[in-house]
Amino acid sequence: MAKKLGMTIDLKRCMGCHTCSLGCKMQNNVPMGMLWNRILTIGGEDVDTARGEFPSLEKSWMPLSCLHCENASCVKVCPVGATYRDEDGRVLINYDRCIGCRYCMAACPYNVRVFNWQKPVREPGHSYGEAPVRAKGIMEKCTLCVERTAKGQEPRCVEVCPAKARKFGDLNDPNSEVSKAIRERGGQQLLAEKGTKPQVYYLR
Amino acid sequence: MENRGNLKMSLGILGLLTLLGLIAWVYQLSNGLIVTGMRNVVSWGLYITSFMFFVGLSAGGLIVSSSATVFDIPAFKAVAKPAVILSTVCIILAGLFIVVDLGSPERILYLFIHPQFQSPLIWDVVVIAIYLVVSLLYLKHMTQPAPDYRKLATMSAVALPAAVLVHSVTAWIFGLQIARVSWHSALMAPLFVASALDSGLALLIIVLAGLERYSDYKVEPKLYASLAGLLAAFVAVDAFFVFSEVLTAAYPGEESVTAALGLLLSGPLAPFFWVQVVLGLAVPFVILASAANRQSKSKILLAAALVIIGVFCKRVWLLFSSFLLPLVEGAPGITLGQAPAAGAKLDMWAMAGSYTPTLVEWAIFIGIISFGGIMFIIAARRLLWAREDTARGIRIAPTAAK
Ligand code: SF4
Ligand code: SF4
Repeated sequence: MAKKLGMTIDLKRCMGCHTCSLGCKMQNNVPMGMLWNRILTIGGEDVDTARGEFPSLEKSWMPLSCLHCENASCVKVCPVGATYRDEDGRVLINYDRCIGCRYCMAACPYNVRVFNWQKPVREPGHSYGEAPVRAKGIMEKCTLCVERTAKGQEPRCVEVCPAKARKFGDLNDPNSEVSKAIRERGGQQLLAEKGTKPQVYYLR
Repeated sequence: MENRGNLKMSLGILGLLTLLGLIAWVYQLSNGLIVTGMRNVVSWGLYITSFMFFVGLSAGGLIVSSSATVFDIPAFKAVAKPAVILSTVCIILAGLFIVVDLGSPERILYLFIHPQFQSPLIWDVVVIAIYLVVSLLYLKHMTQPAPDYRKLATMSAVALPAAVLVHSVTAWIFGLQIARVSWHSALMAPLFVASALDSGLALLIIVLAGLERYSDYKVEPKLYASLAGLLAAFVAVDAFFVFSEVLTAAYPGEESVTAALGLLLSGPLAPFFWVQVVLGLAVPFVILASAANRQSKSKILLAAALVIIGVFCKRVWLLFSSFLLPLVEGAPGITLGQAPAAGAKLDMWAMAGSYTPTLVEWAIFIGIISFGGIMFIIAARRLLWAREDTARGIRIAPTAAK
């Protein structure tokens, strides 16, 4: 059976340290001024603030990047087929094809796509990754670290998370770590009512 | 003739503005879309607003003129020619607004080489292309010395549905997106067609008056009254759809829809929403509903201008009502996509969308519209002014004709 690569993110484990966000940025040579993977503080007014009324306060985080939807709105709307789903279920962008119409950005229900509004600026010495660099006028976003995962490695965010909140694997394999976690912990998809069927599940 | 001097001067000014727009576009090409007010949160702006607006203006004109033939309304046949010229020019402008909006316009041919037919944008490319061809053929047939009425009838039978379709497809670009609550509505296409009808007809009325004033083109005064009556009906339909849409959105009180609605009713988009509702729908309707007012050309023109302004405002609130609020909430929000200037404090986050068009965008906007003005004047001169001469079967170059 074909693979359906996916991820689980354990929100009980995530401690909002932003390590995965920066690991991603370096791995993928993400230009300055944008991130493929960002950590949102749930409900709080500002970063790392609690929600609720004293004394019933709570604080938690939700990492957010492309969720690699099975029924991806971005893939449907791309007029030139630059955004596509590969055979392992990753949603990818062909940087040589994208015309920069930004329709996909309007169509994604999660605000996870980022666009090169200008000639990308990268901090010298901070480009370690294998990902090809993108040009001005092109869309980009999380690729599930296709350069790594195609070789059987884990995505960088999974590897660097000090709290081991992230797991990566094949959702079509019922015995994979991710499938088990989704079953046992009742994995949830973000905005499931939109029907996009994300392949990244949150464990709450 | 004094008109000729005027004409030269207006062509000169329009040419200058077009040139300015072109320079602004070159500047945008070399720096990227960073020179616009658009960023990752509000990723479409004035260009796409204008795209919708001009598709509407165009469709409206063609619907009026082709229904003249399809439904055999002799009075309207008189305006068919200027109407088709107008809609051809407007659809070209709409296309140009897409071109300037692209981040990588040098790849625009990919739309034709690698079309992906699941995308409503490709549907739009297809129908706009058909529409343009139909308009041009229609125009060609219409301006023959001895037009073949059977052919004209066939052409208009194609043109009418094409015009309705072109605006529906433009609506579906937005209406089919489940991600954006204020777009995702089955009423989107009717809503767009309604504003196409009223704004397109309003523009036609204004252009007819302009042609009368600045050329030898003559319109029967009675025609204004009947076009104005039609405009009143179109405005009423538009108002009905807007009301129905807003009521359907408001009634359930669902959280995300209510938030988007709040933007319109009392938020940052309220000026656009209320200008459209009051000045763009209510006032023109009140003016045009009275038969006495429909005899006054100046009142009709005032109402028509208000309708056009109103429909532009409608485009604004429709587009941005879905862009200002983040789709997934949480601090620090969304990265804007702009690298901080050297030494500046890192400010790449936004919790909500905001957008103001930059000077570059305005220059390109004005440039494209001026270019449209030039195209219209030249086409009108060739196809309308020279009418008498061609009718006699003598083809005289338009410049030599005067
Ligand atoms: S999260 Fe957005 S960008 Fe990623 S696959 Fe889904 S719709 Fe596309
Ligand atoms: S911006 Fe690029 S990837 Fe996105 S829809 Fe347009 S062409 Fe496709």
